[in-house]
Amino acid sequence: MGRFKNNKKSRVIVKPISKKNQEDVSHVTGDKIPKSFVFSRMKLPPSVRQLQMDLRKLMLPYTALSLKEKKRNTLRDFLNVSGPMGVTHFLMLSKTASALNLRVARTPQGPTLTFKIHQYSLASDVAQSQTRPRCPQDLFKSPPLIVLSGFGSQELHLKLATIMFQNIFPSIDINTVKLSTCQRLVLLNYNKDTKLIDFRHYSIRLQPVGVSRRIRKFVQNHQVPDLRNLQDVSDFVTKAGYGSESEGDEEAATVTLSSDLGRVNKGATKSAVKLQEIGPRMTMQLVKVEEGLCTGGIIFSEYVCFFRKCGWKEGKREEEKG
Amino acid sequence: MTNTRGTDMAKKKENLDCESDFKTHEHTGFFDKVIELIPARFYLADETERKWFPGLSKGQKAREKKITNSNLKKARRDRLDPDKSVLTTVDHLKRKLEKEKRISLKQKLKKKKDDLRRQKLEMRKAGIELPEDDSEEEIEVDEEKDDDKSVTYEELRERLHRKIDELKGGRGGSDRPRSHEKRKKTLPNKRKRDAVSEEKTVEDNKAADKGKGKLDVEEAAKDLTFGYVKIDDGEEHGKEKKKRRLSKARELERAMKLEADKKDPEKGDVIAKKHSWKAATSRAAGIKVHDDPKLLKQSIHKEKKRQEKNAEKWKERIEGQQKFKVEKQQKRSGNIADRIEQNKLRKIAKREKKLLRPGFEGRKEGFINEGGK
Repeated sequence: MGRFKNNKKSRVIVKPISKKNQEDVSHVTGDKIPKSFVFSRMKLPPSVRQLQMDLRKLMLPYTALSLKEKKRNTLRDFLNVSGPMGVTHFLMLSKTASALNLRVARTPQGPTLTFKIHQYSLASDVAQSQTRPRCPQDLFKSPPLIVLSGFGSQELHLKLATIMFQNIFPSIDINTVKLSTCQRLVLLNYNKDTKLIDFRHYSIRLQPVGVSRRIRKFVQNHQVPDLRNLQDVSDFVTKAGYGSESEGDEEAATVTLSSDLGRVNKGATKSAVKLQEIGPRMTMQLVKVEEGLCTGGIIFSEYVCFFRKCGWKEGKREEEKG
Repeated sequence: MTNTRGTDMAKKKENLDCESDFKTHEHTGFFDKVIELIPARFYLADETERKWFPGLSKGQKAREKKITNSNLKKARRDRLDPDKSVLTTVDHLKRKLEKEKRISLKQKLKKKKDDLRRQKLEMRKAGIELPEDDSEEEIEVDEEKDDDKSVTYEELRERLHRKIDELKGGRGGSDRPRSHEKRKKTLPNKRKRDAVSEEKTVEDNKAADKGKGKLDVEEAAKDLTFGYVKIDDGEEHGKEKKKRRLSKARELERAMKLEADKKDPEKGDVIAKKHSWKAATSRAAGIKVHDDPKLLKQSIHKEKKRQEKNAEKWKERIEGQQKFKVEKQQKRSGNIADRIEQNKLRKIAKREKKLLRPGFEGRKEGFINEGGK
């Protein structure tokens, strides 16, 4: 009976799951794209775990969003994995009885900056405090821009911190960058008096300037306006409404776009840049800088006097090891 | 007590009156609506004389048809022309009623006039003096006004608004203020005041903010650093010396030297500090810094081992190739020799086959009698 062949319907065709390989080298700039791991080596309380998740979302798209760490994983394991995958930075959260620490380290044998987090707010808290929280679809599809303010270029540890943060996020090429990819902003502000660094995460929104509020809202929202009390459409268009509170800020933050962004903001017209906060908010202090990845000599420490008291000297750890 | 009762009753009556008034208004409104739905020429009796077409001759019919067509066109244009008045059925009806009223009034007046005249005649007959009175002229009724008044845009608008209000439920007669008019009255004062005050405060704020904002912006702009932006002209920080890549041995020497320098008693500390900061900064920027002699030794060792391994592999490969070649050659020569042998044997066999004829089998091996003379 030659009729009964292998029926294709009965056979299950298994498609190989194609892994999306992230590019290691940016096609645009030709530099290596920095990738990061955000993890913690110990068990964290739930709010800190949420903070870790928020940090992971912040570092998107060049991070492992669902990284799973087990108790038996050591730092060595992470290092071994990071080599082939091209991961360049580690962000490690750890909680002790006295402090919550965030360690930012560069992988192969880079320096480690330890920040002590004095206060933090989760992204969900920030969203709850706002009347109109904003999260467009493609917000986390491109990396954020970074702005550092108040760091200066005199003190070495601050300079190191600037360079570290500047290298965590990929660089942008002016000639080929699309305006739609600049959606987020990370702001680090250093306060000289208190030595605290404010960490903020914003989403960028552009609004056309020079049109009346009514027309702008109508064009943006597509909602049919209420013309009940008006005699004529011209009343709607030419009515001088009162301005909003934030129009004063707009004066300072107006830019001229080079190209169209979306339907509303046209190129070569003025638009106002509006920042709306998303994501975690932290107040931290640079406490320690180590030469190696959580090893090596301590080249900067906030609490030098404490160390001096106990007889610690810079680079003593190396001598001990050696 | 009776008073209160009386007032109660009066109130009730009043209420009833109001209610009944309201109800009648409602009913009239409803009936007006229904009448409006019916086109005028069906509802009202047509007073114009109809021409009787069937009995006319061909030429006459054609003429009448032309006239009717032009009339139709004109009527259509008039219907859609906003300047000319659009009379609804109710308007027609009203007009008709007014006409009738006027006619009846005229008749009444005429009657009155006749009576007066008769009286006057009688009185004159009777010889009584009458003062001059112009009552006749007074009672003259004005001629009927021209119906075709040009309805202005404003009136149309008013009509529209009235219709909208009626649709919304303003059926309670024309006494109630129309909603949009009512709002117009109360709101403008309030809104204007607020708007003016708001604008003033906003402007003040704006001015203040501008001043303050500018200062802040200036201050902040002095100390802002941004992420890396690639521009075409220069190269990035630290990636300039890519050409000069030292070999590992050289680097090892450098590292050993550095270590020795660090151990130097006088300037060791300073050098160590400076170097560690520099290394940390360049490492943070992504540049690889080789300063640990141990690691360098390790890597040199590894590289050596790797090279050795590779050399081994290469040797093996070459050997293997040689062997393979040799083997193949041997096999080949063996095969060739075999073939030659085979060919020879075959030839012999062929030759022998000729001599295998019956009776002879094989070659002559000698005479049967050995020896001989």
